[in-house]
Formats: sequence, structure tokens, C-alpha cells
Amino acid sequence: MKHLPKHVRPRWRYLAVGIETWPGASLSRGAFQREAWYAAQNLLGDAGSADADVTVVRFSHAAGAGEAAVRARRDEVDATRAALACLDAVDGTPVGLRVRGVSGTIRACEERYLGRAGGIRDERDVVFGTDRRRGHARDGAVDIETPSGFVGATDADISDT
Amino acid sequence: MSDGPGADGTDGVSDAAGTDDASDDGGTSHPPYEAVTAHPEGDATVSRYVRAAREYGFGGVVVRTRGAEFDADALESRYGVDVVPAVEIAADAPDSASGSVGNFRPEFPLLSVRGGTDALNRFAVEQDRVDVLARPMAGDGDFNHVLAKAAATHGTRVEFDFGPVLRASGGRRVKALKGLRKLRELVFQYDAPFVVSGRPASHLELRAPRDLVAVGEAVGFPADAVRAGLAEWGRLAARNRERQSDSFISPGVRLGGCEEDDR
Repeated sequence: MKHLPKHVRPRWRYLAVGIETWPGASLSRGAFQREAWYAAQNLLGDAGSADADVTVVRFSHAAGAGEAAVRARRDEVDATRAALACLDAVDGTPVGLRVRGVSGTIRACEERYLGRAGGIRDERDVVFGTDRRRGHARDGAVDIETPSGFVGATDADISDT
Repeated sequence: MSDGPGADGTDGVSDAAGTDDASDDGGTSHPPYEAVTAHPEGDATVSRYVRAAREYGFGGVVVRTRGAEFDADALESRYGVDVVPAVEIAADAPDSASGSVGNFRPEFPLLSVRGGTDALNRFAVEQDRVDVLARPMAGDGDFNHVLAKAAATHGTRVEFDFGPVLRASGGRRVKALKGLRKLRELVFQYDAPFVVSGRPASHLELRAPRDLVAVGEAVGFPADAVRAGLAEWGRLAARNRERQSDSFISPGVRLGGCEEDDR
């Protein structure tokens, strides 16, 4: 269909979202989009989520850190922010999520808030408490494998073996 | 158009800069705080929370877990985030809670009682020594006008628990939202003091202050109330630290040095 004249096109905003997971988790764009829509629908209802849009337009995730750009209608930025805050897991994988900022174009969103994916990951044996554990370090943060699952720590909590 | 991203960027900066107020007791506005469950009860250590909190724009972290090991001063100087050691008393009945309150009150600048039954909720709001009644609507807990008035009289902060709003779904979430609405109406009606928390159990469950404000607005809280509720943790901590200090005698009375001129 012929595209709309400029003055009647919807005004979009793009929310830059920082994503964090435990190391080894893999997130796909499709799954993230589905969960984002679920979160919006559950919080805002069908009408509200249709208004908000919540389309994932950029997505990347690797080694426990990722980022995305999520499109929202201009008037619905706060509703979208709320919906994204309620996105707590993707396919059962817990995700930490934060809106880094909001831009008027995808390009500004990328230049300003995206593309700072996270540092060098390093996997080594560390001593956490009194036990020897496997640690996944990045940028001062260390995720430690314990029998009951991962524990988030920093380099101050561990000592090297 | 360009105002949007600019405003967002600068807001993040001013949030971070706002942490300076935390050390200054005279400051009237406190930065947002979050009250967290740390390792060994939660899945992240205090320092990991503090690291995330700085990035998310929190001015402070309240550690609900008594067993957590951390050096508050070292973390504060490294990350510039205020760290408040606290205790959340989880008891089955008021009499055992009462013993714990007596034991822990002198040690911690912030003391909360985990509600969730009518008896515990009532106990917490009628105690001057309790700072916060945590998650009153969880489990079988309920709240009414009598408790709201008592909370206002005794200065017990009632916690609005955003945890189920952020992480539950379906019927459990609907029930939690109903509870929050009832609690909100009563607390606002009787002007009871309150705090707001997402009750994160790992750094992945932490959400930024602005995001919590947006969630609050989506479920019917005024934005200002959510901000005030997040800042209230810091205000409480500052007040109690002052009360714990050696120079404090009673409200309005403090031990001061003699002025040089009097000699």
C-alpha cells in the first residue's frame, strides 16, 4: 500500500533496552519479542498493548549480556517502559532488563545507547566463600556456578585459586 | 523531538549525582533506594546488587538479609551507593517476632517485619520499634482501617510490594494487584507512611527507579508516590543512623560540644 504522507504517520519512539542473563543462556530475538508482547498484553491488556506497539526492531545477545531497541508509540512510552519492566524471563531464562534511554529514531537510539555490548568474558576457577567454584567474569561482575544455580557476585567477593 | 533522548540522558546523570544527598542528612530529598534479598537467601551478593544499583540509578541499597556478608563502607566508597544493613524478621507469630525485634533493634539501622498474616501485620504496625511492615498482603495477610491508623500513629512504614506485579502472572498477579489497590486506598486515606520495593532476589530482578515508577503508574499509583516510597528507605536509614549515633539523646536533643566563647 502507498505509504502515508509524513504528517499522518505515527510518531515512534525507540527504547534502548539493556539485557542481562546468566552466562550460557541463549536468547533469540523471536522469543524476546514474544515475551515482550506477552508482558505488554498481561499488564496493559489487548487495547493498551496494541496502542503501545512494543515491536523489537534491534536485538543482540551473547554470553549473558545483550541489548535491544523496542519501538513504541510516542504517547505510550511510559506504558511500554512498564510492560518491559514486567518482562522477567524469556523461555524460563531469567532476564535483567533496563531501559537505557529513549530516542526518536533508530539511528539515534543505536548511536546513543546501543553498541556497548559487554567487555571480555573470562571463565576460570575461583574461591567463593570457602568453596572452589567455576566463575564467569565480565567487567568486574562474576557469575558463580553453585550446586543450587548461579550466584551473582563481583571481583570483591572472590579470590583466585 | 531531540528533547526526548536529551531528557532521558540527563535524568540518568542527575539520578547518579543525587547520591551525594544520601550522606548529607540535612538534605530534604533522598535518592531512590531498593531493598534487596542478598546471598545466601538471594542469588546475588550485596556487592553485585550495589554494582547494578549504581548502573540503574539507585542512590542506595537496603540489605534485608541478616546473614549477608559485606563491608558497607568499602562498597560505598567503591561504587558511590549507600549501603544500609537491615534485617527482615520472618516469624510465625508475634511473640517470636517480638523477641527478634528486641534482639536486632540495637544492631541494625533498619528493621522490618515480614507480614503476611493478620496477627503479624497487626503486631508490626503497633510497634514503635518496627520501621517497616514488609509485604503485608502476601499469603493470608490482610489490611484494614484499624491497621492503617495504627501505622500512622506508630510510624511503621507499610511496604508496597511490586514483586508479584513484576514477576507473577495470571491469577496470582491479579490477586496481588487487588491487594495492592486495597492497601493503597487505605494507606493514602489514613496518611500512613509507606515504602515501595520490587523485592528483588537477584540482580536480574532489579528494576530501575524510572521503570518502577512506570509500573506503578500502570497499576494506579501516582508517580510521585512511587518516587517518595523509594526515597523513604533512605530517609528512614538516615534518621535511624542519627538516632544510633552517640550524640543523640532524644528527638531534638543532642549532645553538642561547648562553644569556645562560653569559656
